[in-house]
This record gives sequence, structure tokens and C-alpha cells, in this order.
Amino acid sequence: MLYREAGDFKTTYRSDQQTFPIKSERWLFWAFIAFAFLVVPFFINDYWNKAVFMPLLIYCMAALGLNILVGYAGQVSLGTGGFMAVGAFACYKLMTAFPWMDMFTVTVLSGVVTAGVGILFGLPSLRIKGFYLAVATLAAQFFLVWMFNKFPWFYNYSASGQITAPERTIFGVAVTGANTTPWATYVFGLVLVFVFAWVARNLTRGRIGRSWMAIRDMDIAAEIIGVSPLQAKLSAFAVSSFYIGMAGSMLFANYLGAAEVTEAFGIDKSFLVLFMVIIGGLGSILGSFLGAAFLVLLPVLLKNIMVDQFGWATDLAAHVQIMLIGGLIIFFLIAEPHGLAQLWRLTKEKLRLWPFPY
Amino acid sequence: MNMHDITVKHGQELRMTRPDDGIRRGDPLLVVDNISLSFGGVKAITDISFDILKGEIRAIIGPNGAGKTSMLNVINGFYHPQEGTITFRGEKRSKMRTHEAANQGIARTFQNIALFKGMSVLDNIMTGRITLMNRNMAWQALWRGPAEREEIEHRQAVEHIIDFLEIEHIRKTPVGRLPYGLQKRVELGRALAAEPALLLLDEPMAGMNLEEKEDMSRYILDVNQQFGTTIALIEHDMGVVMDLSDRVVVLDYGRKIGDGTPDEVRGNQDVIDAYLGVSHDD
Repeated sequence: MLYREAGDFKTTYRSDQQTFPIKSERWLFWAFIAFAFLVVPFFINDYWNKAVFMPLLIYCMAALGLNILVGYAGQVSLGTGGFMAVGAFACYKLMTAFPWMDMFTVTVLSGVVTAGVGILFGLPSLRIKGFYLAVATLAAQFFLVWMFNKFPWFYNYSASGQITAPERTIFGVAVTGANTTPWATYVFGLVLVFVFAWVARNLTRGRIGRSWMAIRDMDIAAEIIGVSPLQAKLSAFAVSSFYIGMAGSMLFANYLGAAEVTEAFGIDKSFLVLFMVIIGGLGSILGSFLGAAFLVLLPVLLKNIMVDQFGWATDLAAHVQIMLIGGLIIFFLIAEPHGLAQLWRLTKEKLRLWPFPY
Repeated sequence: MNMHDITVKHGQELRMTRPDDGIRRGDPLLVVDNISLSFGGVKAITDISFDILKGEIRAIIGPNGAGKTSMLNVINGFYHPQEGTITFRGEKRSKMRTHEAANQGIARTFQNIALFKGMSVLDNIMTGRITLMNRNMAWQALWRGPAEREEIEHRQAVEHIIDFLEIEHIRKTPVGRLPYGLQKRVELGRALAAEPALLLLDEPMAGMNLEEKEDMSRYILDVNQQFGTTIALIEHDMGVVMDLSDRVVVLDYGRKIGDGTPDEVRGNQDVIDAYLGVSHDD
């Protein structure tokens, strides 16, 4: 009824390998997209934009990137915060150096710069793996943050050491700076996430995605059947950093407006995004979205319930919220180690037969 | 699928993408010349020479620890021998990386299955064609157009292999969920997908029951006869080896002690001694 594949025959390979093979799923997806593009922008206000939608979109982008590296290519990284900082500072330098440049170009170029840095810090992965690689990427995190503090050129010698996003527009609509409207930044972020989620799906389903997964599952066998580990690993680092760089650029320019590197791009960001990827589901595009949604929306929801409904003190609510989320993370990891995406997959398996399971 | 597809599905369609190397059936495809390999003080292979002719099934046998797997690892570039040369398709090979051997047309299966556990059967076999696919990242990101066309083209070739190995029913199943015998078959499929000039099989029938062994033997013979693929295989089951192979090379303690047709090898006193464990000082 809701979810039926009976009568949905595939007669070409093309239709067999589409992203949403089942008709009702396709409808659901496009309805959701239509809602996000056509309905939300007309009702969005500043609170929803700042508290819900922008963080959600930004972390979706970051989680997509990290999932490509950790989930698809199997290379553990704790450098996400550092790479987001690279994206933010690249964005800042581009905005100030080329004031005429539109924000899409700036964001994508920030991603490109971060991809370059990502390749550089991905080089150790050719020699080391697992925990040792995690430590190497941790070094990247601390080095990058230190570098952006140390050299004033990066923050244009400003007295505070902060970077502040000037106003930039797309088609005459401000998306950064003080004069932005909630719908403008929302649509800007949504378009980027939509386009690059589609790109991520395309990359992961073809030759490149398979070379990543082959390296993840059994690197020696992958090499013997002709996957070049150098190309596979470095391209994973490049693509992953590209996404994370764009997320960093959006976080700084479209969300925070002004940022200080130690505070905005610390190690906690690295862990937050890694948790999103693990909770959402390693090696799944949908998982990146679910994980980001879980860790962005749940705190907002809990805060609303505890402070507004129960009338608790804000600090008490904040502490209870941390405990609850920690507990929930552990619960989910025990209940379903493969993440929310796997939970969704199992639900679909059940739905196929529902309501007659035999 | 119409009649035409059915008649061509075994064989012809699979042999197009690799350029013809000009080696005729029966000429040497691979020549191993005085290879020695040691790990520190341990000599795994000492001064071994043999050749593999195009179109034949060549078995490498020997007791445990004789250096058979090391020999395969040398052939596909995973180990680099200290002495000796290997000539593949008429070209003397210098020190190369493993994935380059794959590019030259050498594919293999492993003693203990080395499939990609997190991927489906279809994706595993598609990965076997990775050396034949070449759309760059920009096309892949766009998908529509060249990348998708390439994908479908290779999907067709992979479906022929899936057909050939009779694993249609499990093509979307993650390989981790499959029983052992099927996993072995999928691994053969992955190696075949590369359309190799030389196929190395490391104990393709280890741990199988009689029925599975018979199935696998049939696939090996079919691959050899219908696709014309040259095969080098390691196997412990003597009955299988003697029935399948055209020629056999026998190793013991890293040395070659016999080489010839199954009948010649069976009559070779050194080989009998190695297998029966006759003491050498009487």
C-alpha cells in the first residue's frame, strides 16, 4: 500500500539502478523536496532559520563530506573542524580579495581550496590506517587551528583576530552580512546541499565510489584487481574535504557572520560531525542527513520541551539535555550499530510485506 | 532477452575490450625465468622456471609450504623476486605495483575469500571491471550522459557473467550474507569481469563439498573453453588437478621438482616422494 514493489517492473538497467527504485519512494522524495523548496521559504522566520534550518543544512553538508571519507572510503578522520576552518578562511579571503564575486562561486572555490589542503593531509593515509590515521588527522586539526591564529594574514590583520563576513549577494539578494533575510540564506543553503547531495550520490554509485568501498572493505584485494590506492584514498580525501570546506564556508559566512577560529572550529566540531556520521549510518547518503538531523534537531526539541513546556531553568535544561543526548547515542549504537539509515532500511523491508508478513 | 542475446551470451561479448596481444594459442603467454624469492633468511622460492601457454590450464601443485601462493603473488606483482625475470605477453616486466599487473590483464582469486563484504554481488563484480572503466570524476559527478552510458555498458557485460555463473538470484545481496560456496563463485565472477588474459586461481575448491567442486570444475573448464582464458590454478585435490589441467608444475620446498602433463607428473618419482614423504637419505 504505502510501499509496494509488486507490479513495478524494471526492463532496463537504467531503471534498475536508479536512486529510488520504488515508485512510492520516489513520490515521497519529490514531495519532500517540493515542500523544502516551495513551502518552507514562505513561512520561515528568523528563529527557525537560525535555530533549525541553517545548522541542519550546514551539518548535512559536513556529514555528507565526512561520510564519503569515513563511511565510503574507510579512512578515519578527526580533522573535520580544521578543514571547516580552512573553508571558512578561504571564503573570507576570497570575499575580501574579490568583492565582485557571487557567493555560490565563493563557496565552491572555498571547497576547492579545502580539497587541496585535504589531499595534503590525506598523504599519511597511504602509509598508515585505522587509529594511527585518526591521530594523524587529529594533528591536522590542531595544526590548522594554530596556523589560522598564528598568521594575521589569514584574518586580514584585524585587531580582534576574528573574521567577519561582508555583505555579498546572489542575483541582488543578500545572503551574507547584516541585511540578509531568513528565506535567502535558507534557499542558498538548500540549493547547495541539494546539488551536492546529488553529486555525492553520483560519485558513490559509479566507478569512483566502488573504488572507495573496495579500499574500505579489503585494501589488498582492491589493489590486486586494479584499484590504485593512491588515487582512491587521495580522491576520497579531496572530495570529502571539498564538502567539509563548503560547510565551513557556509557556517562562517551565512550562519555565524563572524568567527574566531579556536571557538568556532575546535575539536568538538570534529567529534560532532563524526558522531553524526556514525549515528546516521556509515556509507549511506541518507545516513548523513539522518545523523545531522538527529544531532541538530534533538537538542532544539529537548530545549523547547524542557524550558518552554516544563518551565525548567535554562542551565538545568542544558545539562539534562546533554545527558539525554549522550544516553540516546549509546542506546542507538547498541540497538542498531549500523545507524539510523539501517533502521530505515529495515523499516522498508518490513513495509514491503506489511500488513501480511507471511 | 531475445534469442540472439542467448546465443552470444557465453563468450563472444566478453572478449572485446582488451587489445589483442598478437600471441597465438599455444605460444607462451607468461614465462617465469629463474625466479628466487626470499623473506630475510627464509627462501620461499629458489630458482624456478616454467611457462604458461596461451589457452591452457596450468596447475601448480605441491605440499603445504611449497611456495605455490608465493609464486602466484610473484606473478601478479604483489611480491618482488630478488632474482630472475618474468615475461608477460612478450614484455619483460620490471618492478611494478600490484594494480599495474591488473591493468596488464592478470586477475586472481584468493585462498581465503577476499570479497568486499559491504558491497552487493553486483557491485563486487562491477568492481572487477574497474580497470576497463575510465570516465573521470567530473563526468561521474554529473552522471547523466557518458558516465551513465559507461555504467550500463559494463553492467551488461557483468550481467553476462552473472548469467554464466548462475547467480542471478543473489545479484543484489550483500556478499557477507552468502554461503561459502557462493562467495567463491562471486569471487570467480569478479576476476572474470576484468576480462583477464591470465586468470590465477588460488585453491578455488578449498573447503567445498563434492557437488560444489564439480560445479566449480565445470565453470573453470567453461571459462577456459568458451572465453579462451588462460588459467593458472593451485589446488590440493589431486583428482581435480589431474582432470582439469593441461600441464602441471610441481613445487616442493620452493624448488621445482616436476613439470609436464598430468600423466608425466603422476609417474615422476620425485613427485611421489614429495607427496608420500619418503626420506631422502636411503
